Amino acid sequence: MRLRFLGAKHVIGAPMKDVIHLCHGPVGCTYDTWHTKRYISDNDNFQLKYAWATDMKEKHVVFGAEKLLKQNIIDCFKAFPDIKRMSIYQTCASALIGDDMNAVAKKVMEEMPDVDIFVCNAPGFGGPSQSGGHHKINIAWIDQKVGTFEPEVTSKYVINYVGDYNIQGDAEIMLDYFQRMGIQILSTFTGNGSYDDLRGMHRAQLNVLECARSAEYICNELKKRYGIPRLDIDGFGFEPLSVSLMKVAMFFGLEKEAKAIIDEETARWRPELNWYEKRLKGKKVCLWPGGSKLWHWAHVIEEEIGVKVVSVYSKFGHQGDFEKGVARCSEGALAIDDPNELEGLEAMEMLKPDIILTGVRPGEVVKKARIPYMNIHAYHNGPYKGFEGWVRLARDIYNAIYSPIHQLSGLDISKDERPTDKGFLTRRMISDVDIIEDETTPSSEQPYTGEYDIVSKLRGKIYSSSQKQEKEYIIGVVQGGT
Amino acid sequence: MEDLMKDKIEQLVDYIMKWCLWQFHSRAWDREKQNEGILTKTMQILCEEPVELETPTYRCYWVDAVLLAKGFKSTYPWLAMMEKKDIKLLMKGLKDRIDYLTITGSLNKELSNPLY
Repeated sequence: MRLRFLGAKHVIGAPMKDVIHLCHGPVGCTYDTWHTKRYISDNDNFQLKYAWATDMKEKHVVFGAEKLLKQNIIDCFKAFPDIKRMSIYQTCASALIGDDMNAVAKKVMEEMPDVDIFVCNAPGFGGPSQSGGHHKINIAWIDQKVGTFEPEVTSKYVINYVGDYNIQGDAEIMLDYFQRMGIQILSTFTGNGSYDDLRGMHRAQLNVLECARSAEYICNELKKRYGIPRLDIDGFGFEPLSVSLMKVAMFFGLEKEAKAIIDEETARWRPELNWYEKRLKGKKVCLWPGGSKLWHWAHVIEEEIGVKVVSVYSKFGHQGDFEKGVARCSEGALAIDDPNELEGLEAMEMLKPDIILTGVRPGEVVKKARIPYMNIHAYHNGPYKGFEGWVRLARDIYNAIYSPIHQLSGLDISKDERPTDKGFLTRRMISDVDIIEDETTPSSEQPYTGEYDIVSKLRGKIYSSSQKQEKEYIIGVVQGGT
Repeated sequence: MEDLMKDKIEQLVDYIMKWCLWQFHSRAWDREKQNEGILTKTMQILCEEPVELETPTYRCYWVDAVLLAKGFKSTYPWLAMMEKKDIKLLMKGLKDRIDYLTITGSLNKELSNPLY
């Protein structure tokens, strides 16, 4: 029953990069830190390197842990003198004894005026839903912090990029596109996000929302309180991403800039996507993600990567996620809400998928059933957003399905005969049997040629936007809308 | 004739359900505004009428409407053959159907939550 805590701290809070994330509770609450989630950052992954807990013991449960909390906060700031921002997360233990974390935080901020502390009251016993934790921290952040910092606005086009946790650099890829258009990103909620940037969310003109499941609450509140509209986008897949970039561009009148990026990226990466699509055509996929990938991917991996989605499921998705996911699935796909292990196994037996795209824990069950599996929460070799990222996803699916390991692992060396006169079949020997090179399969189509690390080079990149700043976007009336 | 119109409406519904996200905001009142704002502007674009962009919210509706109209035109060539008065009828039917599927006929109990 720790899920509300996980949903608040690990999914939303902890990707903030320049923050000490202190867990107020027994050290066991920090055991599952999710530091394998790969929400990387451009400050040497500070938030992934350390885990902090106040280490409450039984005596604190009896006599209270506010003093302990205060001392821990001060110790943390002393241990990391360059970090001046902190999030404190309540746990079941500290919530049950009624520690007033807000009062402690306020006192420390009075004594140490250069620090700022955010308090998140989302203890695990608050509910079995991670999503409940997302909700809690969204509202807590806007209530406590938004509007308490004035950001430097340097562009006429200013957005918050919301609901991306920078898994293996996803957010940084998207920010590169926006900045190439001349758009300033005031904050990213919360992947690679900076605490003070997120305090200044109220100065954006537009909230660009990716994962509505985890972050629509703050967008909706920003709309209600500050009048900032929300535009939902899809960062995955060539066509949805192209449309999404164009949508943001149209809001500001930057269509030419967006088109140049879309044309360049499509020309560079489409042939490589085509190479995988031809080899993955008709492969059966179970799409079993957390929430948003249910609907971000259900249609577009079929359209662009060629696979067939035979099932969708989600443990934490809301009713709204299933509305979206089912709407985007092809006919005949099996949708399962909040499945248990047995239902998952039954589905695998019945549907006989070629690969299952899911999280690391169900993934272990999948592997034991000897079905290829890919981790689509923390990713295998992402980022998967962006044009190049989508090719990387296709590449990882291809590598998983055609891996020679499946031929080898099928042998039981205690009883099966092991062929010694021939080697195993390589991926290409299996996947290319029916591929004929002709005008529909030109030689320019080839497997992925990108680099291992496509994110680091974006850091520190200089963007030229002076010319674009001359434009004003139109508020008024247009004829026919175009 | 009525069946033909229904069939066209269902084709447009399929397009929206597959390629759009705007119809699935989290609360019923939010969905009403989205459906009204975007589908009205889509109709205006298809009928070459002026479209108001007076507020940032209207501008967001317009952005989705432009792309929807473009998608409709490229996917359904029969749209180009229709007269404007018929397009208006078609879009009215589409709005009613989307309202039903996403609001009045939706089984999503979170739609009536008074808070976000």
